Amino acid sequence: MELLVNGQRRQVSDESVLVWALRDELGLTGTKIGCGIGLCGACTVIVDGQAVRSCITPVRAVSGKSILTIEGLAKGGTLHPVQQAFIDYQVPQCGWCMSGQIMSAVALLEQNPRASEREVLAAMSRNLCRCGCYVRIRAAVLDAQRKILARKEGNA
Amino acid sequence: MSQRQWRLTRRGFLISAGLLGGGLALGVRLGWPEVQLKIAEFAEAASPTSFGGASANPTAWFELTPQGRLRLYLPKVEMGQGVMTALTQLAAEELGIAPAQIEVVQASTAQGIRDLFGTAGSTTVVSLFKPLREAAAAMREMLLAAASAQLKVEPAALALSAEGVFVQKHPARRIAFSDLLAQTSKWEVPERVPLKSPEQWRFIGASVPRLDLRDKVTGAAVYGYDVRLPGMLYGAVLRPPTLEARLRRVDTSAAERLPNVRKVVVDLGAGFVGVVATSRAAAQQAIAAIRAEWDEGRRWEQEDIDRIVTVGDEGGVVIQRVGDALSELQRGVSLQAEYRTPFAIQTPLEAQAAAADVRPDRATVWVSTQSAALVQQQVARAVGLREDQVEVFPTFLGGGFGRKSGWSEVAVEAARLSKAVGAPVHVGWSRAEELQHGFIRPPTHHRLSARLQDGRVVAIQHEQASGNVLLSFVPGIARGVVGADFGATRGATIRYAIPHRRTIAWRKDLPVRTGPWRGLGLVANTFAVESFMDELAHLAGADPLAFRLAHLPNDAWGRRMAAVLRAAAERAGWGKPAPQGRARGIACSTDVDTVVAQVAEVSLEGDSLRVHRITLAMDCGLVVNPDGVRTQAEGGVMWGGGSALLEEASVRNGQLVATNFDRYPLLSIDRAPDVEVILLDTLRDGQPRGVGEPPMGPTAAAIANALFALTGRRVRQLPITPTRVRAALSA
Repeated sequence: MELLVNGQRRQVSDESVLVWALRDELGLTGTKIGCGIGLCGACTVIVDGQAVRSCITPVRAVSGKSILTIEGLAKGGTLHPVQQAFIDYQVPQCGWCMSGQIMSAVALLEQNPRASEREVLAAMSRNLCRCGCYVRIRAAVLDAQRKILARKEGNA
Repeated sequence: MSQRQWRLTRRGFLISAGLLGGGLALGVRLGWPEVQLKIAEFAEAASPTSFGGASANPTAWFELTPQGRLRLYLPKVEMGQGVMTALTQLAAEELGIAPAQIEVVQASTAQGIRDLFGTAGSTTVVSLFKPLREAAAAMREMLLAAASAQLKVEPAALALSAEGVFVQKHPARRIAFSDLLAQTSKWEVPERVPLKSPEQWRFIGASVPRLDLRDKVTGAAVYGYDVRLPGMLYGAVLRPPTLEARLRRVDTSAAERLPNVRKVVVDLGAGFVGVVATSRAAAQQAIAAIRAEWDEGRRWEQEDIDRIVTVGDEGGVVIQRVGDALSELQRGVSLQAEYRTPFAIQTPLEAQAAAADVRPDRATVWVSTQSAALVQQQVARAVGLREDQVEVFPTFLGGGFGRKSGWSEVAVEAARLSKAVGAPVHVGWSRAEELQHGFIRPPTHHRLSARLQDGRVVAIQHEQASGNVLLSFVPGIARGVVGADFGATRGATIRYAIPHRRTIAWRKDLPVRTGPWRGLGLVANTFAVESFMDELAHLAGADPLAFRLAHLPNDAWGRRMAAVLRAAAERAGWGKPAPQGRARGIACSTDVDTVVAQVAEVSLEGDSLRVHRITLAMDCGLVVNPDGVRTQAEGGVMWGGGSALLEEASVRNGQLVATNFDRYPLLSIDRAPDVEVILLDTLRDGQPRGVGEPPMGPTAAAIANALFALTGRRVRQLPITPTRVRAALSA
């Protein structure tokens, strides 16, 4: 089966869910596995602009769709504003949940660029962090939101 | 496997140069017995690889690579606590180059990780603070001396850069490290290796950005679950249905017939049934196709376990005795209260994971572990090799929290399966395996009794019962000899200046495997002791802060506790009215020579307790990386908060109930408190202290105490669920 991952066409088997196709077949191990049933968000990728839990997404369901993983988020050497904010605020501890946190935040800010703080927290509450980086995740996502908005307004 | 020839110098350094194209290397080995150093003084000219049978590999070491880069081999693992950065800061300080200019490599068991203790117990920076700087300083002095000979300039006029040595006043006059390596035939560790004084420090004490974060926001960092090897297959293991299940019979024929299955391994004696397949999905299908018959053993219920974990029988071990608390309490008890904490699971978000490549004469293992040296022993035993034939490479850890210390079941599983199939095998646990088949935090029971006289506590007793924490790693016979479990009792003794104090601990063997969980007994014991101090304060009609301050010892501990209590209280607005509908509680703890106080501000939404903010003050001595320490404190508060509000595992019908986060919920961002961290260094003795675990100590107690301040009702059992709040309010 053919998948479109980070702009490239890739062949995978269709026996499993997306997370294993990405990690074990394509070697894109930046997408993590946490719970396997769509509860923790560690495996979040973006499919056609939507945050998707790749651990419960059959490979068949995303054939022909555009899949974006953490490896495809930076443009050239330039990090996405959400990635940059996660460094600026020194967010990650162990880092295992961070690909999912970042992909969830990217999708949220694409869909709802002016999300209120409450909406941000509600959306991000489905991404668990065992190290407890929550204070900084909140600060970083809100900071990325400000910068993305400022850039858009600068371009307008 | 690296086979460097090391020479031990008089000063206790290990040096290795000019062999196998490996560049120049210099390190220190922690815990060299004194006698070996004495031998080394006489034998410096000789160059054996070991003294007295001990491996001469250094614990922490530097290498000047043939490419002319300075490389630091990390003797501890990075699991989110920031030691990769903090240790590099120590090295950079003495080398005189920026941390980012040092190439940092995780050492394997053949490259320096030798300690059986592992990365645990909030000890990494404390234990390496001096030896790592000394090794870096020696490396610097050696390079400067060699460059001095080449450049004909005094060493004092030289400095290091990332690429070489240069004349400070004429930076154009320089020699590249690669040239220095080529032109220096004999390397000597100088007699004098001065450490920089704190006034000269540029990196120690600075919030140097974490070195691993770019890789962690781009998906490039490699964890145990991410390891991929050429020709790698995937393994899975059959799990018992109950806590006491023993495998009686197994029929694997259906599994063996599946197309993508390469091997089914059955070892009935060891209770081991595993499969190797070409994908994880195929391995799981094969496990599901196995027909197994089990002796299921006793169908344990949580009530049975709570009954076992109860204070009061003959087996208690007195671990603190000041004055004569028993006699004093026989004269009258003013207050007695009991507290309980439940099973809790470390459940790092990266479940256990390892890749193993076992050959007839050697094995290589990549694993997410806090205890690589122990994994080396376990794998060697499991596959019938000598320890020196096994090399273990720790990866980044997707969280450890004690669960990746001690045993690594997954490394042994991967190794057994790799040996059986003759190819590299990766095993990655599922969340259900992580929640049901590891070792977890034991439940505890506490009974505290005290007598008040004229508003002061004159006698106190803490009776504490817990499942095993550290002694679960010790064989049964030895457990009886050791007595109390010093992990379970962390935080259990009474630090307050009460004339008569007694702490007695019961160690309980349970049908559930229990072991280290971040902070060990700290959260449970502090919850009990600091809730009880709060109860005593209210009974005495005193302000909880003033009551604590009035009971502090007149020593360094007391002064440090006073400092953190006052700092947290002041910043949190203690004594001023809380916002409408909210109340505050305070608690403090001492752990690994670090002192922490916290003020929690809470409200109720229905029966649901909401924690709005935690103000934390911590005296952890000299701070190597302030932002890193704040991060640890913030995370510790979330752990304390999760234990206070949510985390509880239980046994039903012979098995741990939860198989995923629906039944074992973790704190999420919408319930996470704001955290403010205040760092103090009252002793100013130039010594750092542990910060990985201490910040968790007071959180649950501060929250419970705030609930009491809000409602006049006390919940004495963790977690403080809506059900327990409702029960307390209606009592």
